[in-house]
Amino acid sequence: MDPKLLDILVCPICKGPLHYDKERQELICKADRLAYPIRDDIPVMLEDEARQLEPDEYSE
Amino acid sequence: MSEGDKARVTHFGYQKVPVEEKARRVREVFRSVAGKYDLMNDLMSFGIHRAWKFFTVLLAQIRPGQRVLDLAGGTGDLAARIVPRVGPEGEVVLADINEAMLAVGRERLTDMGLVGNVRYVQANAEALPFPDDHFDRVTIAFGLRNVTDKDAALRSMYRVLKPGGELLVLEFSKPRLPGLRPLYDLYSFTALPVMGRLVAGDADSYRYLAESIRVHPDQDTLLAMMESAGFERCRYHNLSGGIVALHRGFKL
Repeated sequence: MDPKLLDILVCPICKGPLHYDKERQELICKADRLAYPIRDDIPVMLEDEARQLEPDEYSE
Repeated sequence: MSEGDKARVTHFGYQKVPVEEKARRVREVFRSVAGKYDLMNDLMSFGIHRAWKFFTVLLAQIRPGQRVLDLAGGTGDLAARIVPRVGPEGEVVLADINEAMLAVGRERLTDMGLVGNVRYVQANAEALPFPDDHFDRVTIAFGLRNVTDKDAALRSMYRVLKPGGELLVLEFSKPRLPGLRPLYDLYSFTALPVMGRLVAGDADSYRYLAESIRVHPDQDTLLAMMESAGFERCRYHNLSGGIVALHRGFKL
């Protein structure tokens, strides 16, 4: 994914910062416990397309 | 969610559908027409949509180095005119809720050699995934009509604009020329679905187009909506007798 895009994207719900999971190709919002998928290099910043994080993914 | 929320309905063309269903229905329409979208625009408007878009970009007065968000930018028609204007120091973000439209847009802009200063994001206009005060311009051409909660979308656009930034909304509106209305109605409800069926193989999507134009807020209603979202110095220009209007407003 375009690294410059990473700098500007925020969570569409809480507007908080996102963490890039390169391996899974996801953008993670820990506050909302959501993982936004990146498909074909395009981040899908839609709440209804996001994956709910498992408890072990947001507790550290 | 309360019972009251569950019962909320919104326009999908002339039909009423549950609020939560509209986005999905609109997505289906544009997934269906993405491949033929640009050709259909030329046919349906006799090529005049190019002039409307040219006028929009002209009034936007985009300068090198600026950041522009082109919302519902789909196949990249507006972005193709904006990208060269911001130059290598600037940045254009093409956002659309529909992945099929975005894919067509990315391929088209890349084929035109427009790369490096343009990025692609699948996003909902009601909940934009960008920081506050980020863009110098937000443009949305023929997109606001399809958004479920237009007030939320306008507030979201206001939020991501920098102070001094400007929103430009190009959208179908209410014809103001006397005598134009009956002709326009006849054309859109008879000719458009037939053209949609013959060219794009999908009459229903183009019937939705004609209907959605009729239920969209008129010039003054949209102006008032922009003002309640916080925009200032709002004004509009009627194009082609008001078939289309360009609304502008500033975040000050």
